[in-house]
Amino acid sequence: MKKNQIRSRKDRGIPLLVSIIIVFGMLAVIVFSVARKLSAEMSSSAIQNLSESLNLIQCTIEAILKNEADFQKLIAQRIAASEDPKEYICVYERNETMVKLSLIMDGETEGISNDGSKFTEDELDFSAGGKVDDLPISRSYLNYMGTWAYTMKCPVVKDGEEIGTLYIEYVYDFLDESLPNGFYNNKALLYIMDAQSERLVLKPKGMGERSAGHLNLEDYYHANDIQETELRAKVDKCLKKGDNILFYHDIRDKQSLNYMWSVNGGTIYLIGYVPVEAIQQEGRTVNQNIIIVVSVMMIAFFLCCLLYYFNQRQQNRIRKEREAEREQHNKQLAEALQAAQLASNSKTMFLSNMSHDIRTPMNAVLGFTALLGMEADNPAKVREYTKKITASGQHLLSLINDVLDVSKIESGKVVLNFEKFTLNDLVSSVDAIIRPMADNRKQSFHVEVTGIKHEYLMGDETRINQILINLLSNAVKYTQEGGNIWFRIIGLKQRSSQFEHIRIEVEDDGYGMTPEYLKTIFDAFTRAENSTTNKVQGTGLGMAITKNIVELMGGTIDVASEVDKGSIFKVELELRIPDDQTDEQFWQENGISRILVVDSAQEECENIRALMEDVGVTVDIVSDFESAVGIMQDNGKEYYQIILLDWRAKVADIPIVVRKIREFIADAAPILFLAPHDAEGMETALEIEHTEVLSKPFFVSALKEIILEMQRETKEETVPEEEECSSLEGLHFLAAEDNEINAEILTEILEMEGASCEVAENGKLALERFKQAAEGEFDAILMDVQMPVMNGYDATKAIRALERNDAAKIPIIAMTANAFAEDEKDALDAGMDVHMAKPIDVELLKKIIHKYVLGKE
Amino acid sequence: MSKRIIARKLAVTGLAVLMTLSLTGCGVGDPNDDIIITEEIEEKTVNLFSPMEKTDPDAENIARSAFDKTIAIAEEKLGVNVAYRTYTAEDYQDKTYDDVTLDRARNNMDDLYLLNPDTVQKLGEEGELLDLSDLACVKNLREVVKTANTVNGKLVAVPQEVVAYGLFINKDMFDKYKLELPETPEEFLECCRVFKENGIETPIGANRWWLETFVFAQAFADIYNGGDTEAEIAKLNSGESKYSDYMRPGFEFLQELIDKGYIDAKKAYVSEAIEGEGADFLAQKTPIVMAYWGAANTETAYGNPGFNLQVIGFPSSLGQMPVVTLTGFGIGAQAEHLQDAKDMLDMILSDEALQVYTETNKVISPSKNVEVDCIPALKPLNDRIEEDVYVLASNAGLKLEQWGNTCLVVRELLNGATVDECMVQFDKLQEETLDK
Repeated sequence: MKKNQIRSRKDRGIPLLVSIIIVFGMLAVIVFSVARKLSAEMSSSAIQNLSESLNLIQCTIEAILKNEADFQKLIAQRIAASEDPKEYICVYERNETMVKLSLIMDGETEGISNDGSKFTEDELDFSAGGKVDDLPISRSYLNYMGTWAYTMKCPVVKDGEEIGTLYIEYVYDFLDESLPNGFYNNKALLYIMDAQSERLVLKPKGMGERSAGHLNLEDYYHANDIQETELRAKVDKCLKKGDNILFYHDIRDKQSLNYMWSVNGGTIYLIGYVPVEAIQQEGRTVNQNIIIVVSVMMIAFFLCCLLYYFNQRQQNRIRKEREAEREQHNKQLAEALQAAQLASNSKTMFLSNMSHDIRTPMNAVLGFTALLGMEADNPAKVREYTKKITASGQHLLSLINDVLDVSKIESGKVVLNFEKFTLNDLVSSVDAIIRPMADNRKQSFHVEVTGIKHEYLMGDETRINQILINLLSNAVKYTQEGGNIWFRIIGLKQRSSQFEHIRIEVEDDGYGMTPEYLKTIFDAFTRAENSTTNKVQGTGLGMAITKNIVELMGGTIDVASEVDKGSIFKVELELRIPDDQTDEQFWQENGISRILVVDSAQEECENIRALMEDVGVTVDIVSDFESAVGIMQDNGKEYYQIILLDWRAKVADIPIVVRKIREFIADAAPILFLAPHDAEGMETALEIEHTEVLSKPFFVSALKEIILEMQRETKEETVPEEEECSSLEGLHFLAAEDNEINAEILTEILEMEGASCEVAENGKLALERFKQAAEGEFDAILMDVQMPVMNGYDATKAIRALERNDAAKIPIIAMTANAFAEDEKDALDAGMDVHMAKPIDVELLKKIIHKYVLGKE
Repeated sequence: MSKRIIARKLAVTGLAVLMTLSLTGCGVGDPNDDIIITEEIEEKTVNLFSPMEKTDPDAENIARSAFDKTIAIAEEKLGVNVAYRTYTAEDYQDKTYDDVTLDRARNNMDDLYLLNPDTVQKLGEEGELLDLSDLACVKNLREVVKTANTVNGKLVAVPQEVVAYGLFINKDMFDKYKLELPETPEEFLECCRVFKENGIETPIGANRWWLETFVFAQAFADIYNGGDTEAEIAKLNSGESKYSDYMRPGFEFLQELIDKGYIDAKKAYVSEAIEGEGADFLAQKTPIVMAYWGAANTETAYGNPGFNLQVIGFPSSLGQMPVVTLTGFGIGAQAEHLQDAKDMLDMILSDEALQVYTETNKVISPSKNVEVDCIPALKPLNDRIEEDVYVLASNAGLKLEQWGNTCLVVRELLNGATVDECMVQFDKLQEETLDK
């Protein structure tokens, strides 16, 4: 579509351009032809004009010559009439026209001039045959005055008889007076040339250029570079015939109109040139004006075009911007739609899975409940069914917890709770959960801790726990019976001294995963196989939750797997080392400064050394029992305060070994056997005094605890067992609970425990009930949060705000399905004492009541 | 403000300006201008007669352009228009420029004349020239200039440049035959011999005007350089000494050059200055010609040769000898525009104008106050003049006019007369002059 638009725009543009070019072309042709026509007209009128001017000069000169001839005839008549012609001549004084008069009497060869000198015709040349009014005119010559002159001769006739000839010399300078002063604004050049000699006899003053100064026609040609033979031949021909000729020729790089204009039948010529620009001055002015007008029009037109162009461009740009915006919008919409569809598909799939997953335990619950109704009289069956119902309920709860976790992570509501914890506790708790599961499936569960320098770390223990349980329970789930599961915690090289860099590896030799599945393993709502056919159950959210938590902690998670060979998950985390990491004081106080470790596994020993050195305790390592005996012998009884003996390193029965050791160390010094969880025969060790078993892997905190325990055993009598916290006898509670069933369950549970409970249906009623109650009537308030009329928070606030002595003191326990950390926080903020998530765990409830109501731990 | 807005504003402003211009262009003139009255403007004119050069198209004649510049200065300052009247002989049969000048001056045809030394002397003697002593520019002139142009106590002409003649040498050709530049007549003859032997037919390019410079160099070298100049001139003016005695060595020298074929006498006899010999010299067919200082600067003469040009003095017993002559401007005693002509002359000879002239032409100025550097080719000649070593080819103090007369006698020699005949001619001339 876009292409079509561009093409249509182009389609519009090209004809427009062509039309503009055609219009301009036509305009140019018209202007050009008008200018040319004008120029041609001007040129011809200029030629006409020049011809007229030359004609005028020609006529003037011819008139002067005619006058001179007439006057000469008159003088000849006077001479004829005079008595003494020679005397008549002698008395004549020259004037500016006639500079010399001479007379030769008939029959004589020598005459006399007016200056008294002798005169002959020899110096004059009349051979050309030129005449003025029938009087022969001589060739031009330089006269006695040093100027160019000509002579006309006239017969002196007396009584019809020629008695002599009168010669009168005229100078060309006289003609100068009659010529125009300035020819074509002094741009033209005008000479008078004697046709016979081709000498330039007059260069009228004030005319022509100063640098000119030409001698004869040949010099004129030479000076003006007129060398074309053909042209010169034509000109010569015209000169001989006495014709006028005009021709164009460049004179000093200017186009000029040259002329040779015949005067007096061709005896003399006007020659010269006029630059064309001087002739066509008016024409040029007109042309210039035309050009100016056309230029102005063109500029105006171009400006209009320019304005139009800019306008169009701006509009195009706006249109493009809008289009781009729309496209962007559409794209976003499409993307959103796609995302929504994807999400919808995933969720549909998820819901379908969930539907199945929830129905299954629900089916069990309902089914067993039905069976329970039928078999109510059979306590054994009842116990069995309730156990199964509980298991199904637990499963349901875990499903719900997972779903809630995902939604929380997705909505960014997860808040990590950083606290100090020990790796020992972490490993122990994980071990406690996973080992039974593994044992159930007859799998070997291996726990290895290496390279850890600090076992006290800061972090969200619960969440890390969650990660580990997720990974490990998956490993258990997806590994066939009798398989192996390895759980490793490896201390990596620290990137910063403040952080312990650890890698957690969970490896199994189970079913493994296909490469396709590996790509989506961390996506929410996916499962290795469709859950309806899968052997194992789960939400499919575990890995997504795990990955999200790891990333939330700034860590990474990687997985490698091969079908039927197993999988390995690697989680790398950097956990902050708490400032009060070392617990040197304990060891100093107890006088423990040196430990002997007897173990053949070098790596484990180094691990122990690293951890113990951190708390300032020196660790000596020997690989076998004999060496241990040797080293103890050498160093006296007090040298080692603790002996750590690897289970595998014992060479004989434990009592013998212990006895042997005791020979070299203090009696009270603990002898600890390092043993894996599944070691057998440890009971013997526990029976011997000052001898204990320490579970692998080794942790300082574990060692510390065991020492403390041994000290307690030594110092104190056996403490009477903690009182059973089962009894809630005689307590009276106010419960705010809008759900009747829940209220009933709560009431039942409490009553079973010997306590009584009064239920209010919402916060407001609870508040009013409490107001009416006497002081001390209720031992505690169990407060649901989500209730009609008034919620738990508001009710709590209101209760706490009451002006009663017990208003501030009475324990208020939140009992809500809002189970998140922030819900707990909100509850505490509202003034409640403790938060307890539904469903109600009886033991937990009892514990809490004991703690907050009876003040017991 | 964005670029677009600026562009738009510019466009609108442009349109407005165009419209204004167009409307202005449509305006009509004052309708009351129907009657046109022209006034005759009276122009002051000075007529100047000077030689005309046969011009080449496109060639710049700096000698004339230098002169024109001074004229332009004067025209502007005085408001006077100078009308040029010129003459040049078409060929040797024609009247010479000098002849025409004499005729024109005698007939008062013009106001100002550019005069050769002989004409100065003749017209001065005849009283046709105005005494220029009272011109303001005269006080700046070098003494030699005044001496050479004073006739009967009147300063009758003043030049724009001191014209020095010299030998124009193609140094490349001299180098080719390993020849030193000649100092004496003997050395000069030797150079010519070598050239001739090496196939250069006529080593010296000559015309009918300037061969006399050889004669002057040999004749007056002693008089003007170390001799008692005034006493010697007095003797010549009284007839005690004979011109012919001075002139003989030079004529004999010329005769030898002609006899040995170093000069083509027949060609020289009919050749105009530069026109006859210039082409061969520039074509490097002739290694030696004679010419005036300015020819080395003038494109129409030898201003731009394709070889190493050197200008030296003429051979003499005292070594290379520049021959100095003074072409001057004179004013007709009966000139029609006498005062304007005087003002004009005073102006073109002022130090300001002479500075322009001298700088343009790179010549020796007649004014004591004006000096410029010469071109390298002229350095040998200039060095001699700076040393005050030169002979005067024209001296109005001598009663017998030298420049014109000697030229005519040399022509006779070229035409076949013997040296003795020429000397007789000199004796006759001296006698006639003294008789006057």
